[in-house]
Amino acid sequence: MTSDKAPVGISNLPNQRYKIVSENGGVFTLMVCGESGVGKTTFVNTLFQTTLKHADSQQRRHLGIKRTVEIDVLRAQLEEKNFSLRVNVIDTPGFGDNVNNNKSWQTIVDFIDDQHDSYMRQEQQPYRDVKFDLRVHAVLYFIRPTGHGLKPLDIETMKRISTRANLIPVIAKSDTLTQKELHDFKIRIRQVIEAQEIRIFTPPLDDSDASDPAVKEHARQLIEAMPFAIIGSEKKFDNGQGQLVAARKYPWGIVEVENDAHCDFRKLRSLLLRTNLLDLILSTQESHFETYRRLRLDGSGSPEDPSLPARAPARKLSHNPRFKEEENALKKYFTDQVKAEEQRFRQWEQNIVNERTRLNGDLEEVQAKVKRLEEEVRALQARKR
Amino acid sequence: MATVGHSEVSDALHHDDAAELMSNSVVKKEDDDFSVAESSIVNGDYEKDATKDDGTFGQVLPEQPTMKIIERKISGYVGFANLPKQWHRKSIRRGFSLNLLCVGKKGLGKTTLINTLFNQELQDPASAKVDDQLANLKLEDPEKAGEAQETPVKPKVQINTISTTIEENGVQLALNVIDAAGFGDAIDNTDAWEPIVREIDSRFDQYLDAENRIDRTSIQDNRIHACVYFIEPSGHCLSDLDLTFCKSVHEKCNLIPVIAKSDILTDEEIEQFKIVIRSQLQEAGVNLFEPPHYSIDDDETVKSSKSLSSKIPFAVVGSTKEVATPDGRQVRGRQYPWGIIEVDNAAHSDFVYLRDLLIRHYLEELRERTSNVLYEHYRSEKLSSLGIKQDNAVFKEFDPTMRQKEEKQLHEAKLAKLESEMKAVFQQKVSEKEKKLQKSEAELFARHKEMKDKLTKQLKALEDKKRQIEMSMANQANNSPIQPKKKGFLR
Repeated sequence: MTSDKAPVGISNLPNQRYKIVSENGGVFTLMVCGESGVGKTTFVNTLFQTTLKHADSQQRRHLGIKRTVEIDVLRAQLEEKNFSLRVNVIDTPGFGDNVNNNKSWQTIVDFIDDQHDSYMRQEQQPYRDVKFDLRVHAVLYFIRPTGHGLKPLDIETMKRISTRANLIPVIAKSDTLTQKELHDFKIRIRQVIEAQEIRIFTPPLDDSDASDPAVKEHARQLIEAMPFAIIGSEKKFDNGQGQLVAARKYPWGIVEVENDAHCDFRKLRSLLLRTNLLDLILSTQESHFETYRRLRLDGSGSPEDPSLPARAPARKLSHNPRFKEEENALKKYFTDQVKAEEQRFRQWEQNIVNERTRLNGDLEEVQAKVKRLEEEVRALQARKR
Repeated sequence: MATVGHSEVSDALHHDDAAELMSNSVVKKEDDDFSVAESSIVNGDYEKDATKDDGTFGQVLPEQPTMKIIERKISGYVGFANLPKQWHRKSIRRGFSLNLLCVGKKGLGKTTLINTLFNQELQDPASAKVDDQLANLKLEDPEKAGEAQETPVKPKVQINTISTTIEENGVQLALNVIDAAGFGDAIDNTDAWEPIVREIDSRFDQYLDAENRIDRTSIQDNRIHACVYFIEPSGHCLSDLDLTFCKSVHEKCNLIPVIAKSDILTDEEIEQFKIVIRSQLQEAGVNLFEPPHYSIDDDETVKSSKSLSSKIPFAVVGSTKEVATPDGRQVRGRQYPWGIIEVDNAAHSDFVYLRDLLIRHYLEELRERTSNVLYEHYRSEKLSSLGIKQDNAVFKEFDPTMRQKEEKQLHEAKLAKLESEMKAVFQQKVSEKEKKLQKSEAELFARHKEMKDKLTKQLKALEDKKRQIEMSMANQANNSPIQPKKKGFLR
């Protein structure tokens, strides 16, 4: 074969893909998870450089102390350089805010499962041109900057998320920790994550082509920085060089959001959007969704006809603790009723027994009278003779 | 179901986990509704469901909750605009593939054209033909072996696949060329297209099976992404066989018709022939693959893609041989005494346009259309024919408040059911017990009355007897006691 042949045009195939994706746009669903006040809303607005979400008013914050965890979905169609991305931000207001946070991860876990389930069911239909997809591509778990370690609630929640979605733990409001404190905190968190076998999302190192060591190096840097220490700010300040930058201003200095020396915001943004957005999307589809589907379909046993799509059993009702409580209350009500009735029946039976005794007494009395009379008669008869 | 549930419940009422069992029976019921379509008949809702089924065909979206979607144009650099770039990189890593079906009569230069397109000797034309003939010989009835060289009366279409991987600047394409040898070569070509349609269908079926399997990690796409159909350069019109074939495959694969060996037709003849072919195909309702337009395309790209569409059916010439032109260039072409036809020269043939469509510009679009349109169409019909009902209720935008409401309703229905079941059992048990007690009470009173009556009668009888005796004794006393007394006194 001659070497200097006219090119076939295969090297243009990636450009075709590029064009198709550019034309179709993308969908990215991000879940932010953490106690209130760790800066979830501010982070989302900082990440997309636009106010997608307004922080809860102070009033609502005070009112909403005692409530169950809810789900809040924010939908946006963003356009950057003619590329259109549908962004869904899932918030879980009230997570971990109650005194007893037992099972408060349930809403989060249920939501992730529900979306997989919904997608699976849509996919099974004969006609499925339009599908609604809210499968979560990444979960940002905000850790409070205590400097100590992870709380049991953090560990339990992260464990459950990590088997269902791409988990990315972040240290919120990291400007409250000094460099040394942050360093130690990160090490401690990493140790716990490792010990508890929590799987966190890491950019793929193995499948990246060896010809691009820069990609590998970047991925390695991202992995090393985990869990990312972040700060968020929608306000802009002069960075001292005449540039207006997103930052937080303190009397002792300005913390710049996009300064690698100040925090890991840029690294996190790179992981979420600039370099690994596709990895997040693909691993959700190819790994987490497939795992969910496999588990659901496996449980239903093999279908009678292999040519028919396997169908999963209907999903259980949600684990809403209030529902369980109501159910228990109903059960208790009936148990009490049964007890009350049993008491009444016992009383009734006792009454019958008493009545019988009384009536027996009555009969005995009459019988005694009869006996007495018999004897009198017998005596009279004897005398008469 | 209902009766089973009741017996379960009545047995269970005395246990602490009574409600647990009840709730299980509730959940089971839901499962039945989901998986067994016939359950609606049992439930007596058949009429309602039947009318609903008649009304819905295909995907009909249920009413959606009103959603607020924030729309923003971002001026700064956020970075998600990198997604196409990320795909670019990823697609190189994952590689590309193309399953190309070639259909046409023998001698129309199929192999040569494919070799020219991919600039590779995918198959040595000479040896392939010998192989074909050998295969025919072997397959032939031994008695007729001698006649095997003759054209068979009935079509003997054989599907052969040649696979190879082509790499160019680090981009890999896994190419499968599927050849339908023997198509149109027989005297009677009735049903000659059938083995080909079967092949396309079976590849769809294979993919459908893989998609339905529980483990889909190693799903392979063997679907036909494009079908190049070779038209004989007769210059007249399409034959019935051509039209029948096009009609039977155009909804199953991206059909790309080409006029083979077009160097025997003059430009005018080609133009005329193309017009006839286009109108024939249009009349027959045959859909061809049309290159799509992108909203981000500039005017020039739009123009070139339009001109690409206008060239269909492509009049092509194939040649892998290099010849020297009078001006000293080495070109792929065919040398005639009257000149050299250059394959890669857009002025000489439509070869470059075909290559643009099939490889350079729209290979990925061919795959997209196969997957999103053609395969989906096949799948919908196949599943429907298997009796799988469309459940449009699952196509719903997620709405947390609605979701909460729905869950609450479900929960309340469940509670109400639980309550009524428990109440029924409870009331039954209570009334049973009440009846039992009332009965024993009545029995007690009845027995007592009976005994008392008996005793009262006895008492009365005795009293009568006593009175009688007393009476008779009193009479005796009136007569006799006085006498003795008298006697006594008298004595």
